[in-house]
Amino acid sequence: MRTAAPVFVAFASGLILVVAFFFNEETTTIGKLSHQLLDWVIIVGGFTLLLGLVSITRVNWAAVKRRSDGWIYKLFTIIAIFVTAIPSVLSPDWSPLFGRARGSIFDWLFNYLQAPMMATMFATLAFYIASAAYRAFRARNAEATILLLTATLVMLWRVPIGEALLNLLPGNIPDLINTYVMNGANLAVQRGIIVGAALGAASMSLRIILGIERTYMGKG
Amino acid sequence: MELLQIWVMAFFTLALFSFLYKDNPVYKLAEHIFAGLTAGYQVGLIWDTIILQKLWDPMIGAGQWQLLVPGVLGVFMFARFWPRISWLSRISLAFVMGTTAGVFLVTELHGRVLPQMQWTMLALGGENGFAATILAIIVVIGVISTLIYFYFSKEHTGIFGGAAKVGIWFIMISFGAHFGYTVMGRVSLLIGRVQFLVEDWIGSFSTIF
Amino acid sequence: MEQIDRRWVYLLVGLAVVIPFIIPMKFPVSVSPEAQSFYDAVEALPDSCTVMLVFDYYPSTVAETEPMAVVGARHLFRKHCKIITLTNIPYGAPSMAESVTRRVAAETGKEYGKDFVNLGYKYGYVSVLKGMGQSIESIFPTDNSGTPLSELPMMDSITNYRQISFIFEVADNATADYWISIVNAGYGVPMGVAMTAVMAPKYYAYVGSKQIVGLLGGMKGAAEYEILLGQPDTAFRGMDIQSLVHFLIIAFVIVGNIAFFVGRAQRRKGRAA
Repeated sequence: MRTAAPVFVAFASGLILVVAFFFNEETTTIGKLSHQLLDWVIIVGGFTLLLGLVSITRVNWAAVKRRSDGWIYKLFTIIAIFVTAIPSVLSPDWSPLFGRARGSIFDWLFNYLQAPMMATMFATLAFYIASAAYRAFRARNAEATILLLTATLVMLWRVPIGEALLNLLPGNIPDLINTYVMNGANLAVQRGIIVGAALGAASMSLRIILGIERTYMGKG
Repeated sequence: MELLQIWVMAFFTLALFSFLYKDNPVYKLAEHIFAGLTAGYQVGLIWDTIILQKLWDPMIGAGQWQLLVPGVLGVFMFARFWPRISWLSRISLAFVMGTTAGVFLVTELHGRVLPQMQWTMLALGGENGFAATILAIIVVIGVISTLIYFYFSKEHTGIFGGAAKVGIWFIMISFGAHFGYTVMGRVSLLIGRVQFLVEDWIGSFSTIF
Repeated sequence: MEQIDRRWVYLLVGLAVVIPFIIPMKFPVSVSPEAQSFYDAVEALPDSCTVMLVFDYYPSTVAETEPMAVVGARHLFRKHCKIITLTNIPYGAPSMAESVTRRVAAETGKEYGKDFVNLGYKYGYVSVLKGMGQSIESIFPTDNSGTPLSELPMMDSITNYRQISFIFEVADNATADYWISIVNAGYGVPMGVAMTAVMAPKYYAYVGSKQIVGLLGGMKGAAEYEILLGQPDTAFRGMDIQSLVHFLIIAFVIVGNIAFFVGRAQRRKGRAA
């Protein structure tokens, strides 16, 4: 029961969706059924996100209770969770500060704390990539040299001053980069990767539907 | 933008940038607040857009009682916290995985493999002139050699190994292009933050001082 | 030289980003064929048609993606197209869709509910993308702020993808792939993808297979579209800084390699001695 029930559910729901692909989804019963299942996934999936929240709260609260290393920071994580979450689920009819609309606490915290912090986290990567370019980007062999030369050409081509510089050389280099590098070698490799990944995803899907792939169930 | 907002944003921006010098308590504080805000954000969004709009309102307001099924499956997810009944959460997971797999099984083949292979072959038709045909031949060689390079069930020796070697050269060109584009992307994100610091935050100094 | 403290590298990058703010250069930006074909496809849409403008990006990449969403909204509003915005990203994207469209709508005098609607977010891109093929209203019963779609006049004549003329996808992640494989391939809705530079090389394959009409890659892509629209803005201004930092990074690569080869030669000489 503990394994058979989930395997059956995965098989039945997967099969319905596969068969429905070949029928009109607006007029046939199987089409409507598949739509119903997809609609339900949205609801079940919503609970998984809430599960993640319960998990992060439990882990951090346990660390605070044990007074383990850095517990004070974890306390701030918990405070931040509740300061964002509680006003957002209260009715905006009670106060314009509640709910998710513009002017609410939720909206303020997102715009002035969360969004700039998320953007800054990613902005720091510019420094790391520059450091990597200096410390690790070496022409050690033929393959690394091809990579290095292509990267340099593309970096020049994608900025106005670089493109102007390339245009000073004979042979319309920017056009050649676009045609033979981006739409030639690059396109071919990306196509190979897309096809390989898609075949992998399709075969993994088949394994899940047939109950061969069960690792998503975890242990126990 | 109000002064308070600008200074709050600037404080957290600089707090996170301070890590570039070295790890420090202000960075750690900002990092943990950020994690909390991100988790908290989900609650408001999911509560409103899914629990209320997709489950509670149609079920209670419009009598769509069949929604009890996904509702119960959703609650089963929380069974993971109790070892004795944790297996119930597998049913919910299986439902999400099975449905998604059902969509992927056909759309990955129909929407990706077939069109990509189709256009690899159609471009060889030679209808767009000599240069386009040369380009199409390059693409065909690139696609096949890349696929061979990533095929690890056969040893890369002999003709197969030679083809894999050609694949590596193509891959290096593509990864080089990727690196160039990645530099561009990361720099753009930095520009965004510096634009804020220079134009908004330093700009606000004139109001204060 | 090979083992220089990384903080000197950071300092130089920081300076390279700040200097162009003080001394702007305004170099001309050329338009790539991929951006041109994207623009042409939007330009060729019939006036007053309905278009989905999808905000599939996180706040982390706004510097690259928001200018693209802005040019998309500007172009579509100029053509008096009706815009439906939505997102598959839970973090912040519904709020960003709201603020961008309202800002651009204010420039062009467009009205919420009549000219544009923000559907917001629902969990599970596979279900959302496939589900809208049958009924948009069943997936999004209300808009982002909770108003039932039946109360929004613009949505009266919209049932599913059959009434959508084009999808203008702005993305910083793989959801763009699923718009292509599920919606474009399954329902035949033409689409263009505006994406972060990191993603761009991959999508040349989709342009080649004619699954997307064109692509905008990163800040340069956004700047190209701004030029085509005749309204240079944030992305165009960013290109000066981009130029300087690219040159700096190329210099790092060259100096780093010189240091490496000189160091290696010295080590070999030392061993030989």
